[in-house]
Amino acid sequence: MGGGAESTDEELMLLYRDGDAGAFDALYARHKGGLYRYLLRQCRQAAAAEELFQDVWMSLIRARAGYSVQAKFTTYLYRLAHNRLIDHYRKNSHVAMVSFDEEDREAIADPPDERERPRDETLDAKRQAGRLMELIAGLPEAQREAFLLQQEGGMSVEEIAQATGVTRETAKSRLRYAMVKLRQGMLGWR
Amino acid sequence: MALNGRNAGNANGDAERDPQLDRLYREAAREAPPAHLDAPILAAARRDAGARPRSLTSTLRRWHVPVSIAAVVIVSVSLVILVREEDGEQIVPAVAPPAEQPAAPSAQPALADAAREATQPQPAAPAPQRRDSREDAGAPAVLGKLADSARPESGPPAPSGVAAVATPAPAAKPSPPPFVAAPPRVAEERGAPVAADTVTAGRLAGAPVPPGEPPAARSAADVPPAKAMARAMAAKAAEQDRPPVWEGLEKEPPEKWLARIEELRRQGRAAEAEEMLSEFKRRFPKLPQP
Repeated sequence: MGGGAESTDEELMLLYRDGDAGAFDALYARHKGGLYRYLLRQCRQAAAAEELFQDVWMSLIRARAGYSVQAKFTTYLYRLAHNRLIDHYRKNSHVAMVSFDEEDREAIADPPDERERPRDETLDAKRQAGRLMELIAGLPEAQREAFLLQQEGGMSVEEIAQATGVTRETAKSRLRYAMVKLRQGMLGWR
Repeated sequence: MALNGRNAGNANGDAERDPQLDRLYREAAREAPPAHLDAPILAAARRDAGARPRSLTSTLRRWHVPVSIAAVVIVSVSLVILVREEDGEQIVPAVAPPAEQPAAPSAQPALADAAREATQPQPAAPAPQRRDSREDAGAPAVLGKLADSARPESGPPAPSGVAAVATPAPAAKPSPPPFVAAPPRVAEERGAPVAADTVTAGRLAGAPVPPGEPPAARSAADVPPAKAMARAMAAKAAEQDRPPVWEGLEKEPPEKWLARIEELRRQGRAAEAEEMLSEFKRRFPKLPQP
């Protein structure tokens, strides 16, 4: 069994819930990269990201029998990851998830750094990618999370709000400010 | 590049995308989890899926549709069978009475009476609506058939006692002549001595069949007990529905009554003769009793 390539994530998870281990293999292959990168960018340490990565998948396995389709599978998976990250932040006394007001002020107060803007117009894609990664790493956690959920999880604003447990407006604002900062940071780099 | 202005005008959050950023990010973000993480996770998934039995809910959910379909099919088929059997049982009592009189051994004169009765209105004999309509529709044609069937050698071999009567034969359908198939056997039954009825009843109750019995008679004993019981009930209902033995003689003079009683006695139908005698006494109390 295991479900074909045409099966949706939710169908695969239902199959797995009903005992089809092959369906889990397919789900894992689909989402392991995105989930890993989300965790890696959020905790910034490969070892911690690997530990969190394993924990999230184990949580999914443990929740198998009680699974029912109430949202997109990615929303479900990244909500597990989000909760596990918050535990990780608390455990490590990390000041996570800065308040939304702070994010606003920060976005307005931080204009693009003109000194970092390269003068060479022939920058290659690698340097552009490196620049983007730096900018992403510099985002506040909440904004970075919103951006990563959009990119890695393919989520809409509503789904980001569900996965992170905030209102749609909050999720939308986080995403908007993340995009503003990234665009401003990439001015002259592309 | 008016990034801020464009962004501020975005009312829809899903429009918060920048194709260039998306492309750049896809090119930049290529990290993958180390391969050594895959094995324990997949192994745990397999272990969990194999170890834990499926929950009852999920099993029920999986079988919900097939079981529902099967239940609907079974109920439908049962209903159809029941309705068809009931139809057959309702038709049989309506068929039996017309065969009664012409079935006597001296069938020819009785048939003439029956023909006269069939063509004349009989207000004194209330009968079920269904039977009336059948009699009205097919009486002349059926009487001819009855005359044929009354001769023992002319009719086809009777299938079996009540079994043949209770089975919804095609000829018992509402369309033309509805009871052509049944009368031969019914005629036999009515015309036979009472002892023969007793034998038939014994068969219905599951009594063993003597080896010398003809196959037609034996087949009644072959039916399963439940079916035999149903047929016995149908036969009883038919018996209750049958018209009185003096039907048709209500307006006749006492001499005809006495002749009929005598005839019944000669035929060995003592019970019916007694029944008719009682009615005779009730109707003609001043006449000397035979």
